[in-house]
Amino acid sequence: MRGNLSWQPDFEELVDEHQSMVFSLALRMTGDRGLAEELAQDVLLELDRNLGKIKSPDHARFWLRQVTLHRSADALRRKRANAATLGTDVWVELEERHGFMERDAESPLGVRIEELLATLPESQRAALVLRYQEDLTPEEIAVTMQSPVATVKSQLQRGLKLLRMRASSTLKEYVRGA
Amino acid sequence: MEHKDMEHDEKDLPEFERKLRVAMARREAPLGLKTRVLAQARERRQGQRRLWWMIERIAATVVLAAAVGGFVEYRHIEEVRKGEAAKEQVLTALRITGRTMSRVQEKLADER
Repeated sequence: MRGNLSWQPDFEELVDEHQSMVFSLALRMTGDRGLAEELAQDVLLELDRNLGKIKSPDHARFWLRQVTLHRSADALRRKRANAATLGTDVWVELEERHGFMERDAESPLGVRIEELLATLPESQRAALVLRYQEDLTPEEIAVTMQSPVATVKSQLQRGLKLLRMRASSTLKEYVRGA
Repeated sequence: MEHKDMEHDEKDLPEFERKLRVAMARREAPLGLKTRVLAQARERRQGQRRLWWMIERIAATVVLAAAVGGFVEYRHIEEVRKGEAAKEQVLTALRITGRTMSRVQEKLADER
């Protein structure tokens, strides 16, 4: 991470630059557009409260990714707890919510991938989102997720395999380039 | 057959990864998110400023009250001290007068 002594964080600029990254991460982690919007808002406001601790643009990006993942995991945990209390299955709920997600601007593959992504275990989903949405290396993902690199590599492999397996049954025409 | 499928799968993997990368491009943030975030951040800062303003005012009032109280207490102590000194002076004067009077009385008694 580059340390820039003269860098002064500008909150408005940071929001402008990172709002889509934060929202996309939250959306792909939770699979719920409303919840993702709420999470993105909370994370960005938390950034404002912690602006004094941010040392560089890279640090801001890293901090936002990490906090978004943590907040998304917390939100999913709360949701699961609520679902357990109410006796509903959170994954069924997530799949149902995905059915209502905006599809107009998205490619069919993109929408289907997001639906399938929501069915993967949380850690595999996080690793895949950081790898393919954020284009991070396994080493960078390991730092962000505070996990060993070997664990991240195995999560990526397993997640990719699972996603591909699930995709092949429903998305044969897209996967095979048909 | 299975071996062929695996080979095909391995060949397809980079293509799948490429499509995955395209499919997982960042989504646009919802309209109004930035405006809402900035408005809430501004509100929070204003709230914080108001809180500081109140704390400053309370601190100033406390300091002022302490200064006034200290001055009043000092004046009171000073007055008590002056009173004590005056009392002491009166008592000394009375003692001197008493002693003088006794001497005069003794002389008068001797002359008689």
